[in-house]
Amino acid sequence: MTFKAACIGLTAAAALAAPVLAEYPERTIEMTIPAGAGGGTDTSARKLAILLEEKLGTSIAILNVGGGGGSVGASQFMQAKPDGYALFATWNSPLTTVPQVQNVAYSLDSFTPIASTSETAYTLCVKADFPATTGEEFLAELAANPGKYTYGNDGIGGTMQLAAERIFQTRQIEAVAIPFGGAGETLQNFLGGHVDIYGGSISTVLPYVESGEAKCPLVTSAADVPALPGASGLEALGMADKETLLWRAILGPKGLDPQIVSLLADTIEEAVNDPGYVEFLKTKGEVPNVVKGEALGARLQAEFDALAAVSKALGL
Amino acid sequence: MEFYTNALAQVLTVGPLVAMIGATLLGVFIGALPGLNPVMAIALLLPLTYSMDPLVALGMVAGIYNGSMYGGAIPAILLRIPGTPASIATTFDGFPMADRGEASKALKIACWSSAVGGIASAIALMTVGPLLARVTLHFGPAEYFWIAIFGMASVGVMVGSDPVKGIMAAVLGLLIGTMGIDTLSGQARFTFEQTWLLGGLDLIVVLVGLYALPPVLQLAEKCDLKGLSAAQLKLTNMPFTRAELRSFLPTWLRSSGIGIAVGILPGAGGNIAAFLSYNAAKNASDDPESFGKGNPQGVAAAECGNNADNAASMIPALSLGIPGNVVAALVLSALTIHGLQPGPQLFHQNPVLVGGFMMEMLLTSVLIFALGGTLATRVFAQFQRLPGVLLVPSILILMCVGVYVINGRPVDLWVMLGAGLIGYLFEKVNVPLAPIILGMILGPMAEQSVRRALLISRGDATELFTRPISAVLIVMTLLVIVWPVVKALRRRRLRAR
Repeated sequence: MTFKAACIGLTAAAALAAPVLAEYPERTIEMTIPAGAGGGTDTSARKLAILLEEKLGTSIAILNVGGGGGSVGASQFMQAKPDGYALFATWNSPLTTVPQVQNVAYSLDSFTPIASTSETAYTLCVKADFPATTGEEFLAELAANPGKYTYGNDGIGGTMQLAAERIFQTRQIEAVAIPFGGAGETLQNFLGGHVDIYGGSISTVLPYVESGEAKCPLVTSAADVPALPGASGLEALGMADKETLLWRAILGPKGLDPQIVSLLADTIEEAVNDPGYVEFLKTKGEVPNVVKGEALGARLQAEFDALAAVSKALGL
Repeated sequence: MEFYTNALAQVLTVGPLVAMIGATLLGVFIGALPGLNPVMAIALLLPLTYSMDPLVALGMVAGIYNGSMYGGAIPAILLRIPGTPASIATTFDGFPMADRGEASKALKIACWSSAVGGIASAIALMTVGPLLARVTLHFGPAEYFWIAIFGMASVGVMVGSDPVKGIMAAVLGLLIGTMGIDTLSGQARFTFEQTWLLGGLDLIVVLVGLYALPPVLQLAEKCDLKGLSAAQLKLTNMPFTRAELRSFLPTWLRSSGIGIAVGILPGAGGNIAAFLSYNAAKNASDDPESFGKGNPQGVAAAECGNNADNAASMIPALSLGIPGNVVAALVLSALTIHGLQPGPQLFHQNPVLVGGFMMEMLLTSVLIFALGGTLATRVFAQFQRLPGVLLVPSILILMCVGVYVINGRPVDLWVMLGAGLIGYLFEKVNVPLAPIILGMILGPMAEQSVRRALLISRGDATELFTRPISAVLIVMTLLVIVWPVVKALRRRRLRAR
């Protein structure tokens, strides 16, 4: 995406010597983001990259490779050299959801988990005049009217759709999924009345909840979300195990030196907990959440397995 | 009013002013280089702005955005290479003008038209924008489908003398548009097991190849070792006569209106605005045959249309929190990083910042008058004086750099080469290239919208026709198709008499 990135690509290819930790990092790190510039993942990663640059004492070049719900960027990144100068800043969907519906060339084993950074729930919202307000009423209304309501989501087989379907399957609810290009597009169609239910990130719809135009009966996290006091978390509805979150993480290519992994993971943890970053996350309705190294790998695997079961039941 | 005077006071300080002037110049430059585009430049600059005063950062965004939309016209006129997708329509009449020695006049028209379009759009953003933003919400998937069809109908006017070849080109564009992951089913289409094809072919990569390579090869064919002499390149800076200005006025008004209307709809975009404006100017003209042969109105319409899209595309972003294109998404992203929450409360949350950004969109459009004309004629036009042996390799290098940095993968260079060779062959056999790009842009929009609309109506196709806005769009589409035929028939009858 940048001149800088191009130059770095060339230097990275030319560099043959494996890095020694004492000297790491000695040159620019390239960070691949599997989404276009300007989106949620992009904004979070760029903001974090500034803090990391400071702490690591090197510059970070951002390369946006969008397309295929993140699979294009992930496929391109998996071929990078595991020398610590290629990082992948992603959200969970390209790793745990997209492989359920697409034939991708990568698997979880193609990457070295470094650390997760932040997380947020998805929410389901309706217009103020919808005949249900609490989470329980909302699910009852949907269950009583199979096939009547449409809900917008971030794309077929996307994490948002699977998050909703996990809940719907538990309650035998049948709602019509309408896939859009992203939360902004879903919001546009929800506000215009083209779909009945908004399904997507909290920060996008939040201003309309505050203005009273929309109300959100449900979030897809187990716990309630402070920004949406009217919404039930899944624990309150007796299905805490159906939690699906949107979360972000930084990974390396397969075979990354464990010493570099732990150095990076610690630096990322510091950066994420920087007061400025926490404040920034808050405006986006996200909270810091750092899971490092192998624990992150286990989290990815668990989510992958749970979503595989849902998508199989959906026939995707 | 107080809202804007407060904002203006903040904008007219050293920081934002320097940022706007520098960024507008940079924007013209970026727009003028094929392959480099404003999205890339703004994404590259944004991280630098996180620690800056937001009005300085937004001034840079405004300058690059407006500057580059005009800058795209410079190579479009001088070399027949559109600097951005939105300046394809500028090549239709701009290059023929340059070819007959009116390069500086064409550049001047482009400059003035861009500035006028940008100013009209910024005024719309500052006045009716927030009111109109709510109206756009009535456009659902069914309406977007008809907008795409309306856009495609305008291809009919662009296909030139041989409709069959034009339709072939459009179908090729539609086919290319189907490549990659299908957003509605998650299935990969025409990807041949290649991961880099999952995202489809990149519009900019195809555009650079298709549009920049054929003119470059033609330059090479000429084997021109000398280039133009200073005398051949007439760079007289003649002021417009009052009659000329009056003749552009209706075109500017029409194109500004079209650009603003397209811009305000999230997801439509400047490429479509320029095509529609060009088409409307041609339809309104008494002499539609002269379009494509160097009619100054064609340049004015296209350039005014693509700049009029700019500020208007910020309307849904700033008043609803819905980004209609990537630049708007980047602006919202910058606001988020500065701690603001995009949405309807944005105006109340920070009126100085929002008002200031609107003011900057206006001022950078005005700057195009001052900076654009001089820069284009004094600097860029000089490139025409380079002999072919220097010009050809320089453009090729710029193209390769521009294409490579988009995704950082070498395979894009092969795509560019392939598209370029196809473009070169097509030009030899008189197949127009514009319908290919239009097909690539409008095909996915039409397909996804109609499928979404049918999902929402549970498969009931009558829903596509019964909604009031759809009906209006259908009538407009029919008019666009029928009007040129009616006019041609009427002219033939007059001539027969």
